Amino acid sequence: MPLEPIPIEVEPQPFELQLEVFSGPLDLLLQLIESRQLDVLTVPLAEMADAYVEHLANHPVPADELADFVGIASQLILLKSRRLLPGEALPAGLVGEEEPDEDELRRRLVEYRALRDASRTLAAWDMARPSYRREPREADLPEAPVEPMPSSLLADALQRLAAIPEPEPPPPEIVAREVTIAMQIATLRAAMGRAGQVVLQRVLATCQSRTEVAVTVLAMLELVRRRQATVQQDELFGPIVLRPASSGNA
Amino acid sequence: MSDQDGLAAYFEALLFIAERPLTTSELAELAEVPRLQVEAALGELGQRLEEDGRGLRLQRMDEEWQLVTAPELGGRLAAYAARQETRLTPAALEALAVVAYRQPCTRAVIDRVRGVDSDYVVRSLLHRRLIAEVGRRDTPGRPILLGTTFTFLERFGLTSLDDLPPLTSEAAALAALSSLEDGAVEAVPGEPADAG
Repeated sequence: MPLEPIPIEVEPQPFELQLEVFSGPLDLLLQLIESRQLDVLTVPLAEMADAYVEHLANHPVPADELADFVGIASQLILLKSRRLLPGEALPAGLVGEEEPDEDELRRRLVEYRALRDASRTLAAWDMARPSYRREPREADLPEAPVEPMPSSLLADALQRLAAIPEPEPPPPEIVAREVTIAMQIATLRAAMGRAGQVVLQRVLATCQSRTEVAVTVLAMLELVRRRQATVQQDELFGPIVLRPASSGNA
Repeated sequence: MSDQDGLAAYFEALLFIAERPLTTSELAELAEVPRLQVEAALGELGQRLEEDGRGLRLQRMDEEWQLVTAPELGGRLAAYAARQETRLTPAALEALAVVAYRQPCTRAVIDRVRGVDSDYVVRSLLHRRLIAEVGRRDTPGRPILLGTTFTFLERFGLTSLDDLPPLTSEAAALAALSSLEDGAVEAVPGEPADAG
């Protein structure tokens, strides 16, 4: 949904806390820090966790952006929990990309702040003193006729369009075999319907191309995402058993 | 009148009749002089237009040049040009700033800097022709690279990307951050503006 334009104060003025609108999770975090007159460079970000979560709880954000906000919130909470439990090693699964890095987050805040500030300057310049280029010569041509055009013109045009023969179908030999996710969903549904469950590998064995295999796997994931099926795999590389979801709302 | 003056006048005339931006190479070919000389003559033309308080300015984007009206006249010309422009949202301005300072950049860079999915604002900026696809990055997936356009320069009254407000706060802050971390030296990601 498009946001309404929001006027931005650009003159340095006493800071006015306006958290109703923020353009992203970093913006919210930065505004929370600045509203407390803390220094982005030195504030322990873990200490912002409570304020951030509380603000999120009181001011719901649009659903499509919620994941981004929750992502930052979870980083802050993990930073905080690490402060509370010093010396605790992170569980193995959390090391790696998921590990919140305070320095990295701070760098992102600094980079975001610089570009946000620049964007505020640009907001002040926006259409304030525009340049214009030479207009194309077409602008010198007389205006289009002002009287309304007879609607029969449109009907004639449509009739002429209808008279154009349909394009000939392309020769069959160059048409790639097309497999769609919808087709493979139907295949999987049919397979499950017969026995109440199906082993994915059996279905894949019947596929005739790598594309078909890939699309079938995607079809399985789509069924799971729609909660129309559940999958179970007891061991690595073991059979993947696909069953219709018990509370199937298909 | 020196050769350079003559060349500057020639380019001024060429850019006056051109209905599209001309490239340095085109001008070099037309004038039958080396590109370096083209740059020098255009530099002089741009400087003279500005110093003499003329109604036109020379606008540059990478290799392309065009004559536009002086930004200080923008307000008075609006009555003639009568362009209906709606203001950009803060989110759109943020995304535009990322493209302006980090160009050429991918949409992923905009998402990362803003910390939020920017698909909608990027599409609206493309639609307004403030940014455009300028190529593809040679990495897996060959993501589209975005850059600002002449329309961007015109709208904000800039003669080139060098006129963008400097990102000094960032450079200073990143330097301070590095010194906080036991002298660990970190490169400033992305040089503002002089990349183009």
